[in-house]
Formats: sequence, C-alpha cells, structure tokens
Amino acid sequence: MNALKQTANRLFSISQNNYLNPHTALVWPETLERSQWFMAPELISLNGSPVYEELSEKQKKELSFWEAVNFFSLNIHGEKALVEGLAQRLYRRELADVAEYLHSFLDEENKHMVYFGGFCQRYAGKIYRDRKLKIEREYAYGEEEFLFFAKTMIFEELADYYNLRMGNNSEIELTARRINLIHHLEEARHLAFGREIVRYLFNKFAAHWTGEVLQNVRHYLLSYLEATWKEYYNPDVYRDAGLDEVFDLVDQAWHSSASKKHRQQASFRCVDFFVKEGILEKNLVV
Amino acid sequence: MKTQEDMKKELHAWIVKNNAKIKAEELCNDTDIIRERIINSLQIIDLLLFVERLSGTSVEVEQLKPGAFKNIDTIYQNFLERQGDEQCNK
Repeated sequence: MNALKQTANRLFSISQNNYLNPHTALVWPETLERSQWFMAPELISLNGSPVYEELSEKQKKELSFWEAVNFFSLNIHGEKALVEGLAQRLYRRELADVAEYLHSFLDEENKHMVYFGGFCQRYAGKIYRDRKLKIEREYAYGEEEFLFFAKTMIFEELADYYNLRMGNNSEIELTARRINLIHHLEEARHLAFGREIVRYLFNKFAAHWTGEVLQNVRHYLLSYLEATWKEYYNPDVYRDAGLDEVFDLVDQAWHSSASKKHRQQASFRCVDFFVKEGILEKNLVV
Repeated sequence: MKTQEDMKKELHAWIVKNNAKIKAEELCNDTDIIRERIINSLQIIDLLLFVERLSGTSVEVEQLKPGAFKNIDTIYQNFLERQGDEQCNK
C-alpha cells in the first residue's frame, strides 16, 4: 500500500498544480473545415485494407472526421463507466488512503467528457452509441475490484496510444489535436496510478484465487482487450463517411495484416505490463 | 430472402461458432444463453453487430427490453421478426 499511497500523493500534487477549467481550456470554432485530418491516417481503422487505398484524399479526410468522433465517443462511454466505478469506490476502507487522489481522478475524467462530448455534439451532432451490455455475475474475492482497475488500464492505455500520436501532430485539425493533447497529459497520471493499483490489487487478491479463477481472470482480460479493440471498427462510422457494405468493411479492416500489426503495437505497453506482473501468462496477439 | 427459420439457424450457427463449450446439438432456440454463460458481456458486442447485420437495422442498447438477448427466440422476436415477416410476405 505504501508504494500506491506515495504514487497517489505525488499525482495529487501534480493534479492540483495543473488544474484546468474544462469550459475555458479549449476554444471551440463555430464550424470545422472538413478538408483536414481529424485522425492521423495511420490510425484510421480502415488503413491497410483494400477499400482504403481506393478512397480519394477527400474521402479519407471525411472518414478521419467520423473516426475521430468514434474515438471520442468510445472515450465518453469508457469514462462514464469509470466515473461510476470510481464514485462507488470513494472512501472504501481499502482505498481510503488514496481517496484524495480518487477525487482528482474523478474530476479529471468528468472534464475529459466535457471535451469529447463538446466536440461530438458541436461538430457531429451526436455521440456514437455504446454497444456494451452489462451482465451481472458472481465474482471471487477481490476479482471485481481487480478487474475494474485492470479494464480501466486497458481502455486508457489504448486511448493514450492514439492521444500520444495526435496531441502534437501538426497534421491534425487544431481542436481535435488539443483534445488529444490535454487528454494525454492528464491520462499520464491516471496510467501511473493505474499501474500501481493494478499491481497492488493483484498481489493482494490473486493469492486467494483458485487456479480456475485465475485462468478465468486472464481469459476475461484478453477478451476485454479484444472487445475494446473491436469498438474501434464501427460500421456506423463507415456509413457516415458514405461507404457501402459497412459490415464487410468491418471484417476486412479487422482481419487485415496491417490492422493486426497495429493492434499488437498499440497493445504492447499494456500487455507487457500484465505479463511482467504475472497477471497474464504470455503476450498474445489480438 | 431469409425466412424465420433461416435467421434462427444463422443465429444458432453464430453462437456455436463463438463458443467452444457448447455443441450444436446442445443449443436449442429457447436455451438461455446468458444464464448458462454461453455468451458473456464481451461477446454481446459481437452478437449485436451480427444481429444488426442480419436485421439491417441498428440496435439501441439503451432501449433494450430486459431479456432481449436471453435466447435465439427472444433475439428473433425483438430484432428480426418484422424483417422475417416482411421477407415472408414478399
């Protein structure tokens, strides 16, 4: 707990010194010129599939706008679940020592949704729907607690891979770029906290689990990683970008060797951490 | 043109393909795929996409009725029936 508490105290201090007002941190243009890149071309889900090569630059840029809306929508849905889970954990006995930082964590996640939601509502007039469905089930001792933070880490690590490549990328439209940058700067703290708490909870609870529970946890995390990735391949995006046979495009994009390589690269940091901590047994390609 | 039977068969095949634990002959149209943990919360995302592909319409998770994904029959009734009827009537 000491390492976790020290990390939380350090991050709380940084959060206090970098406090942002979400309503003034960004200047929102009335409209956005759509002939720009909103998502880096190499991060567009269709990149590497045959249909992408046939698109004109104008079509690729239009697609990049809807891909950005999807990326921001995924962040909203992920952060809604995160805020809900963090609020439930505030002042729980085992996390009381880090409660102060959990307040900052909650505050920053709420702000992120202001940025993401602001972009989607202003410029796309919508947020893409969430396809996740919660199914209640029973958990082993500490399993739900551990999985909450481990899933958060997966979702945030993948998002940060994208933020990092767009936050300082002059090719990206300015508002989208700024959102990626602000998100990355604050997520860096959440990721540092996430690693400490995932390590702490795994060491605390895994010793109490049977081999079957541990295998189920491992299987679930890999399935969650795959499910998280699948949401980056959204047929609604392709439809809004004016493309046809959208479900076939999902299949093409998901199975292309370029996208498999991309997912492997983007997942590496997170999966490598899980493997080094003994949480996952081996590095599996999604 | 897909009939009710065609669509239920496609759903059956998808569920069996995506779950190594169940054999085709063990899955009936009224088998509870959630309670029996044949499909978990993560696979539902894929199943939703498959249903959207079959029905040609979007599924709004926020507006789902409880039990909509309980079994093959309920999935058909909630998302595919109208399309199946229209196809049959054409």
